[in-house]
Amino acid sequence: MMRRLAYFATVTFWLLVLAFWAGGRLAPPPAPAAAVERGIALAEVARHDQPEDCWMVIRGGVYDVGAYLPEHPSRPALVLPWCGKEASEAYATKGKGKPHSAAADALLEEYRIGRVEP
Amino acid sequence: MPAVPFLAIPCLVAILVGGAIFWTFPEALPFWRSLGIVLGWGGCGLLLASLLLMVREARLARWLGGLERMYRWHHGTGVVAYLCLLAHPLALAAGAWEESPRLAWQTLSPWSESWPVWAGWGSLLLLMAGLAATFRRGLGYRIWRGLHGLLGVAVLVGLGHLVLLGLSAPILAALILAVAFLGWRLVRVDFGSAARPYTVAAVRPVARDMVEIALTPLAEPIAAQVGQFVLVAFLRGEHFRGCGEFHPFTLSAVDPPGRLRIGVKALGDCTRHIQAIEPGVAVRVQGSFGVFLDAAVAAPQFWIAGGIGITPFLAALRGGMPAQSIRLLYLYRHDADAAFVDELQAIAAQEPGLTLRLQATGDGIPDLRQWLPEAADLVGHECYLCGPPALVAALRPLLEERGLAGRHLHFESFDFR
Repeated sequence: MMRRLAYFATVTFWLLVLAFWAGGRLAPPPAPAAAVERGIALAEVARHDQPEDCWMVIRGGVYDVGAYLPEHPSRPALVLPWCGKEASEAYATKGKGKPHSAAADALLEEYRIGRVEP
Repeated sequence: MPAVPFLAIPCLVAILVGGAIFWTFPEALPFWRSLGIVLGWGGCGLLLASLLLMVREARLARWLGGLERMYRWHHGTGVVAYLCLLAHPLALAAGAWEESPRLAWQTLSPWSESWPVWAGWGSLLLLMAGLAATFRRGLGYRIWRGLHGLLGVAVLVGLGHLVLLGLSAPILAALILAVAFLGWRLVRVDFGSAARPYTVAAVRPVARDMVEIALTPLAEPIAAQVGQFVLVAFLRGEHFRGCGEFHPFTLSAVDPPGRLRIGVKALGDCTRHIQAIEPGVAVRVQGSFGVFLDAAVAAPQFWIAGGIGITPFLAALRGGMPAQSIRLLYLYRHDADAAFVDELQAIAAQEPGLTLRLQATGDGIPDLRQWLPEAADLVGHECYLCGPPALVAALRPLLEERGLAGRHLHFESFDFR
């Protein structure tokens, strides 16, 4: 019985992985960024420093990542300290100095809300 | 079985799984995300329990209700852990689906160039490969054992996945326990440090493809009782080189002071090679294990032995005739396969309480009903079975028809794959 259960679960797992892959491929791409981005001051970014209201500055862009944080693979304690702050260096050196992947970069752009103003 | 060993394994599993989930229970996270985390840690706790249950240590086995019970739970917890760990990334992806299907796939995708995700996928793929091999029938023992070891590697890679997500106290605890359990198993069991040194004192053929080997301790002997089995690795002799693997053998006699006798039937490459063993070969012995005849009560008994399965009953008879009346049905294929027949007949001639029936079954699948007593003759009996798994499986429903079911039926499978 355990053998059948394991085989059934494995087949179901791969079918669901396939479904997630198809869902990801067929989903419409994110809307293109506005032609003219809103300028956001660092002081305003600093006011959004809570887990549920978390903005970060990364490579000159401002990102509202509050909705994404629950999905982030790392523990919250590693990411939350960067809410409301300039986080480019942290973003570029996660995990033993290795930068985020290209896929993560693409995902990040979906949360962009403007560019930081000096 | 006493209440403490009966509850010991469920309590152990509950502590490891409940402790892991309680310690890491997510707060204020969405449902699917929380479920994914709970499934991941639940699977981790179950894997830790499964690792501990594969440690073949005589004292631990006694405390947990016997090695066979430990292996049953080892398999069960391993498979349920696998189900939890398969569901873990799917639940995380399902949580991201509401945000966007692209994010859901991004959460799951092995192409995300992230070490934590790669390690998670690596662990799952190793679990799949290891389990597929574990369930594969017909593999040679050595190949099976090597492939089964992939599951241990999967556990370590899975812990790597946790460490890469950020080292925390629960992860450190899981890491320490996993390394401790794996190390305990490797050092004490696989490298044999829990084994005692013995030497082969005598060898005699007792049937076709079957020998009885007497083992003399070279140091402190193990504590053994009739009805139990030991794990034995045969090493080198003057003209003999053993395969060095530990295999289970039932004791056919426990002779003072500390001498053991085991029956070895040629069932695989290693046991076939052992048929040519000689006195003086160095041996390592682990154990003893098993509770087969522990539950023997004052009620009359019906013993059924198939082939090499005669050994625990022979050990009990050699150790002194129990006070109860005993019916012993000894089944074997052909007369050439019947071991210890002269000795059994001699004991039966001297002991009026023992009724012995020797029965050749021939090749093929016999009708076992014809050799079993009627239900009326078995009222109040306790039945003990020892033999090939197929024989035990075939006998169980027939004995249940005759009113011998549940706690009146005693057997051990000796299947440690």
